[in-house]
Amino acid sequence: MTKRPVKLLSVWIAISSVIIIAGIVLFCLLGFNRSAEKTDYKSVEVQYDVVTDITTDAVDTLKKTCNDTFKAQGLKVTAFEAVKEVDSNSGSETGNIKLVYSFSPSVSDEAIQAAGSALKTVVSEALKDGRLPSSAEIFVNVHAGEGRTFYEAIWRGAVGLAVGAVVAFVYIGVRFGVAAALTGLTNGVNAVLLTLAFFAITRIPVYAFAPLLFAAVAAIVSLLIWLLQCMKMRENFKDPSYAALSADDAVEQSSRTARKYVIGVVIALAVVLAVCGGFATAGVRLFLLSALIPVAAASYSSIFFGPALHVPVKAAFDRMKANRKKNYAGKPKAEKENKD
Amino acid sequence: MGKIKSAICIALFTLLIAALCFVCTVSFSYGTNDLHTFNSILRMTAKDADLGAPYGSDGYLGGGYSAVYYPEGVISEKVFEDNYASYLEQEEKDEYAAKYVKYGNLYLEKDEVCGTGDSNEPSDAFKTEFSNTVALLEKRFAAIKKDGVRFEIRDEYTVGAFLPKDLMTNELYAFVCNAYMGEVTVRYGTAADSASTVLPARTNKTIRDYLKGASSRTAADGTVYVVINFTSLGREEIAAATAEASSGSGNTLYFMIGENSVIPLSVSEALDQSSLYISGSYSAESAKICAEAINTALRYEFSEDTLELTLGESYFHEALYGSNALYAMYIAYGICFVAMAAFFFVRYRRLAFAHLYSYLIFLFVMILCVWSIPFAYISTETFLAFMLASLVFCVCNAFVFEKARGEYALGKTISSSVKNAYKRSMWHLIDVHLVLAALSFIVYGIALTNLSAFAFVFGLGVVFSGLATIGLTRFMWAIMIACSKNKGAFCNFKREEVEDDD
Repeated sequence: MTKRPVKLLSVWIAISSVIIIAGIVLFCLLGFNRSAEKTDYKSVEVQYDVVTDITTDAVDTLKKTCNDTFKAQGLKVTAFEAVKEVDSNSGSETGNIKLVYSFSPSVSDEAIQAAGSALKTVVSEALKDGRLPSSAEIFVNVHAGEGRTFYEAIWRGAVGLAVGAVVAFVYIGVRFGVAAALTGLTNGVNAVLLTLAFFAITRIPVYAFAPLLFAAVAAIVSLLIWLLQCMKMRENFKDPSYAALSADDAVEQSSRTARKYVIGVVIALAVVLAVCGGFATAGVRLFLLSALIPVAAASYSSIFFGPALHVPVKAAFDRMKANRKKNYAGKPKAEKENKD
Repeated sequence: MGKIKSAICIALFTLLIAALCFVCTVSFSYGTNDLHTFNSILRMTAKDADLGAPYGSDGYLGGGYSAVYYPEGVISEKVFEDNYASYLEQEEKDEYAAKYVKYGNLYLEKDEVCGTGDSNEPSDAFKTEFSNTVALLEKRFAAIKKDGVRFEIRDEYTVGAFLPKDLMTNELYAFVCNAYMGEVTVRYGTAADSASTVLPARTNKTIRDYLKGASSRTAADGTVYVVINFTSLGREEIAAATAEASSGSGNTLYFMIGENSVIPLSVSEALDQSSLYISGSYSAESAKICAEAINTALRYEFSEDTLELTLGESYFHEALYGSNALYAMYIAYGICFVAMAAFFFVRYRRLAFAHLYSYLIFLFVMILCVWSIPFAYISTETFLAFMLASLVFCVCNAFVFEKARGEYALGKTISSSVKNAYKRSMWHLIDVHLVLAALSFIVYGIALTNLSAFAFVFGLGVVFSGLATIGLTRFMWAIMIACSKNKGAFCNFKREEVEDDD
């Protein structure tokens, strides 16, 4: 007979531990894959003046020349941007425009320099033979950049999340009992760590801020699902039929009644993220589709891990409650004893 | 509620939603040759550097500015070639070229950067000074604490920086002010170049013995000040230096970083204060940038061992995620909205109108809030936060509807079912919204930039979701159902079938 999920706590702990430990190891060795941010890059920049800009087809010719040259050099453009030069004091546009072709930082310096030199030659020939306006000023330059990260935003975000989660679970403790709060907190931490570990293991490209945001999404979804389950548990446990059940049976049955809402929430969230991610442009898609991972981690944590963990926690708290009841003498009895 | 009153309320809410929809989402051009543009609230809302859209006739919201800093002795290839070409005689050209050595994508001035030897590599002293300069500059850009601020080392010996356009009001001032390197001094005279140094007054003391630091303050009337705090020694020296000052003297107290005057303060009387409140044309942001520039130069032990920076070319970047990123997000939202409406119509028939009316008011209130709150803006993160808040709102409404369905199935009247559903759900709804709002606003208070924006918009959405679920949807339900003859069919609720024993 198949074991019920609430009886498989050791399995869920093992799965979470393996993923989290692997994630921590890989994070320590490699960190997150931040290639999406393109903090490190190599680029070829082509600056042209207003003469090129106002000459019919000149900009298109220039762009085509650039693309053909990079193709001939065997380089793949990873990002392209056209930016307008502005006066540093007034912010007004000077009329100069720069085409920025970015390449992977793994492209060798020699290859990028060769591409820059080849492009210089081709542009110079185009200026001479009239394909580009002869009076235009076009300048080709090669650059390499190495981005820096502001870590204050990251550690303050992590502190904020931790404080927020603790306050939220204190509220849950007051409303639904300490056992529910402890399980919920463990559940939330598990969802957050699983999310971060998954990104470290799979090396999915992320922006510097993204892991923390995904951790926040995992915490929020895990909190929401756990709250739904807590509400159902409190409602169900008032039912006299639950009094006769063991802790695991009671949690199991209650989880089953909450499952309709939980699965509904998870599916709705997944659909929203999939639709938004599917329609978004590349940069946004990378963020929104990746947000499915914290949703999945929080769902796993709250549907399987949470209820299974809640069984021993609830049983322990029930035992403590029973012991307190057993040892409690009661006020009238104590008063009577004092009189005697 | 009577049918007529209900019909009037529905008509009024419909008009309100139509008006909000128009104001919030519709933009169009009008007048001769489309000279004038009516901008929707959504279009006028601030966007981060990653997203952006045209605004007005030729404006643009979103994107940002980038700039490159060149340390003394380092120039770009373009500047070298332009200067080289500007010399007419070959001899002059050769003389100029001999001064420089090509280093990667840059040109380095031999004497300044490579030292006095024959080496064509940057000297160790230059490397140390460059490293100090980068550390100081990085600290200043990090202190801006805005979403989208970027900082990079470019071509080994130049520095690139990026500032978001919409989220800042003084981004160009930040580029200029942050470039000021060197020791802080205070001079007093009629011109910055010729003024005599007042602080530090003695050679055996440093500027830190005279100045505690700088900060920015905004007064109740909105005036923004840069506050310079002196030590008692500094106060004495300034009082002594300005003792003879009068309104006609034309003397000015110059707060300098290196050779750059950061704050020129006209002095018309003796200054004998421990803190100087200096107002000018500062905004809260520019005052903070100015104070941070002074503080970093003051606190860094090595601030005197930095390189002077020249602000090179600056560029305006449109949305970094591409020009269509924002519209793609709007389309995705539209699809989710249609899917949500379809679900509610299929499951609850005409009761879906109650949900949709309250959802649309929730949506437009959110748009108005994000537009009107100065630090809120549209970004991928805030969009995700809004979608999550929308989901919470929809789930809570569906939760109450299901409770009412259950009550109705047991044989209660529709009004009793609704009343009981809300009664039984009230604490559930309060719990969900209170916990999520608390989590969000705590994160907003502590975190910075993206996460802070995400948490704020989510928290705001959760608060409005709570109000709309508990108050607005119930009210909509009451006024809409009053117009219906078959109330069960209006909500697509059915009675539980009871088996007849006979």
